Amino acid sequence: MRVAVLSGKGGTGKTTVSTHLAALNPDALYMDLDVEEPNGDLFLKSEWIDEIPVTVSYPEVDEELCTHCRKCSVFCQFNALIVAPAMTIVLKEICHACGGCAMVCPEDAISYGERPVGEIQKGTAVTGNTVISGAMTPGEYSGVPVIKKALTLAVEYDMTVIDSPPGTSCTTVASLEGCDLALIVTEPTPFALSDMKMVVEMLRTMDMSMAVIVNKTGLGDDEVYGYCRDENIPVIGEIPFSRELAEAYAEGEMLSQMKPDIKKVLEGVWERVQAESIK
Amino acid sequence: MIVALCSTGTALNADLDSRFGRCSYFLFYNTDDSTFHAVENEARHAEGGAGSRAVQEIADNRAEAVIAPELGPQAMDALNRLGIPAFRQGKTLNADTVIKEWQDGKLERQEKASVQEMHRA
Ligand code: SF4
Ligand code: SF4
Repeated sequence: MRVAVLSGKGGTGKTTVSTHLAALNPDALYMDLDVEEPNGDLFLKSEWIDEIPVTVSYPEVDEELCTHCRKCSVFCQFNALIVAPAMTIVLKEICHACGGCAMVCPEDAISYGERPVGEIQKGTAVTGNTVISGAMTPGEYSGVPVIKKALTLAVEYDMTVIDSPPGTSCTTVASLEGCDLALIVTEPTPFALSDMKMVVEMLRTMDMSMAVIVNKTGLGDDEVYGYCRDENIPVIGEIPFSRELAEAYAEGEMLSQMKPDIKKVLEGVWERVQAESIK
Repeated sequence: MIVALCSTGTALNADLDSRFGRCSYFLFYNTDDSTFHAVENEARHAEGGAGSRAVQEIADNRAEAVIAPELGPQAMDALNRLGIPAFRQGKTLNADTVIKEWQDGKLERQEKASVQEMHRA
């Protein structure tokens, strides 16, 4: 079973929930796929044993051979090649590495190089969980290659908890590949609700089962419950707001050493998660 | 020499378009004989890469300078690498006025992409 933990925006407690869910089940693989800002390790404090670079290929044009016939540029649906009368240029960042341009080039002028776009670390958390954490190189255009590569390393695990990128970006969608359940962490505030609605819409188009955890209950209003009821999305956990929890987060302390009532909430969530995904 | 512009129509007094990759037409004005022609921007509804597609159009029409609204990072990078200088059209409303301003050396160069035009995939 694979469950992805999502949120409408950052800072709703997505990382806290995902790391702690994993910690309650030390056999589970924890994947930090919030590749722009992976911070699950704040809690999990892993010992890294493996580092896997992520590269993508891009075309290189041999100007000695190129006749500037424009065939490659016409072919590329991403417009990553521009052929000028005396020069052919490649816009590496928008190339999707489909390999087509080399096939259509009549002069064999195109070969492919590799460039690094991120890195994946693999290790073991203090909790015993195996951890796979992806990070994209800052300034890179897309985190999707890192996520795709990381997911290929996750096949042999029965139970996986994924910390997905917040919002509804391409990286969020990529992180959901092969997931059985999406767990949305939200707060009971109007802002969080409107961000969450976009996530729900995205998940509906993907036909993904979902459930909600409301974090910091007691802080805002009840609108989120009404929404979930209308949309038929089960609320499977509520974490009350507490200063202690906020401080623990700031210091990266695992909740398992914390208040038992919160642990109980997350254990309840785990049970429901298993039940939801079987459904 | 030929200069490229982004416009909303096909006439030389047409209003300029405020979008580069997604403008309605490209105008190509030849300063040597004061002729011009307009090309419809077929890439304006493209999902992605409209900016670089526009640069391809500009290269195809042998333009050696571009007067444009704010450029995104890909288009800026491509123009820089092709050695085609880009100028900022600023608040000027139509094509013939901006061409005069450009010929009088009144337009600012664009050398770096505007951050607002950046977006992540
Ligand atoms: S298809 Fe090959 S020869 Fe033609 S422009 Fe592209 S690289 Fe050059
Ligand atoms: S590999 Fe594919 S996406 Fe990349 S430049 Fe060539 S045709 Fe375009």
